[in-house]
Amino acid sequence: MTKSAVFALGLAAATALTTPAFADKLDDVIASGTLRCAVVLDFPPMGSRDENNNPIGFDVDYCNDLAKALGVTAEIVETPFPERIPALMSGRVDVGVASTSDTLERAKTVGMTIPYFAFEMAVTANDKSGIKSFEDMKGKTVGATAGTFEAIALEKSVKEWGTGEFRPYQTQADVFLALSQGQIDATVSTSTVAQSNVKSGKFAGISVVGKAPYDIDYVALFTNREEYGFINYLNLFVNQQVRTGRYKELYEKWVGGPAPDLSVPGVYR
Amino acid sequence: MFNYSFHWNQAFKALPQMLDGALVTLQIAILSMIIGMGLAIALTLFRLSGNRILGGLATGWVEIARNTPALFQIYMAHFGLGSFGIHLSPFTSLLVGIAFNNAGYLAENFRGALKAIPETQTRAARSLGMSPMQAFRYVVMPQMLRIAFLPATNQMVWAILMTSLGVTVGMNTDLAGVTQALNAVSFRTFEFFALAAVIYYVIAKVVTLAARLFAARMFRY
Repeated sequence: MTKSAVFALGLAAATALTTPAFADKLDDVIASGTLRCAVVLDFPPMGSRDENNNPIGFDVDYCNDLAKALGVTAEIVETPFPERIPALMSGRVDVGVASTSDTLERAKTVGMTIPYFAFEMAVTANDKSGIKSFEDMKGKTVGATAGTFEAIALEKSVKEWGTGEFRPYQTQADVFLALSQGQIDATVSTSTVAQSNVKSGKFAGISVVGKAPYDIDYVALFTNREEYGFINYLNLFVNQQVRTGRYKELYEKWVGGPAPDLSVPGVYR
Repeated sequence: MFNYSFHWNQAFKALPQMLDGALVTLQIAILSMIIGMGLAIALTLFRLSGNRILGGLATGWVEIARNTPALFQIYMAHFGLGSFGIHLSPFTSLLVGIAFNNAGYLAENFRGALKAIPETQTRAARSLGMSPMQAFRYVVMPQMLRIAFLPATNQMVWAILMTSLGVTVGMNTDLAGVTQALNAVSFRTFEFFALAAVIYYVIAKVVTLAARLFAARMFRY
């Protein structure tokens, strides 16, 4: 053996020893046997708890489907809206199935998949407030759940109107409690949440009065920004959910009616 | 595992907004201390009065204020009163909640301070012809306030930190509220909260130092 051949062999051996096998998040999840999903359980029908305190909802089922596809068990980690990012960054969850709007501002921080659900925004008003449409909200005291797409949009509207007051509450339940007490006159929420809260009968004296003229709120799954392998898998998973009709099935189960289109005409993603 | 790259410039860009929030925080804390101080003196008088109803009221207040979480007190001021049709704005709810809490703790501070003042002083004042109210006002209260001053600055710091609970009742103009709103838009959680923590720390530290300087000047013998 020549000197250089020995050297090359040694170099190869050294590289093999020092380069760790690269395991990304997808590997980690499969190896650990558990998929930990951040789900907001204060957001029916996407996430809530049944009488036995078990998590239920569209997002819960979606997480279970994803875990099944990965061949692991799902663990639902209850995560309020403002805690989604800390939960991901501190490694308490692997993926967010938490009705997260895919804004460009947020995509600077986390990695978003293609949309897996779409919301339309509805105005719910206290019956005594006399609000009959979105425009009537001008000058009134309005509120929404802190940290949501609609809260950001509504706060902006209030600023543009220049009159009235905006109040962000920590949970969806607090918003509807404040609304039914008359502390706020109206709220903008996803139409699914609005319908489900009005129907629940827990909040007296409120009704859905119309649509809010905001963009359709596309929501995405999210994970760490640099986990391309995992994001790639999640994108395919979202695609397959629609392709196999499971998306429609889940929509029918938790919301009802025709499932909204998840693609935007005229552009690639 | 902590996997996060910091974008500090985004947080520093929002610094003016956060400092505006800090002003509101300070405003609420100061107002709540002034109101709380007044209420605490009243509660102390009620307890000294020997009147059963007033004394009971004062004891009940102190018990609830000291033995329930401030979060609960603020939540009750907003949603609790709200269910009776009394609607306080988030600002007022927060102020009422913290003032209620302050009054309870300060009344206890005052009680401790009173114990340190020999009762013979009251008797001496009374024998000079002062009414019980005069004796309290001119002899006991100045000493009581002096002894209770430094413990009261603790409560002031506590009041500043308690304002962060306002987010639970829809407060969005104080430091915690502004921070939450910024976080919701950008998801830069760690930068904004770290910055907010620093601002809270600085405010609390400045208040403590100012109070110490004030005490050193005022309470010289």
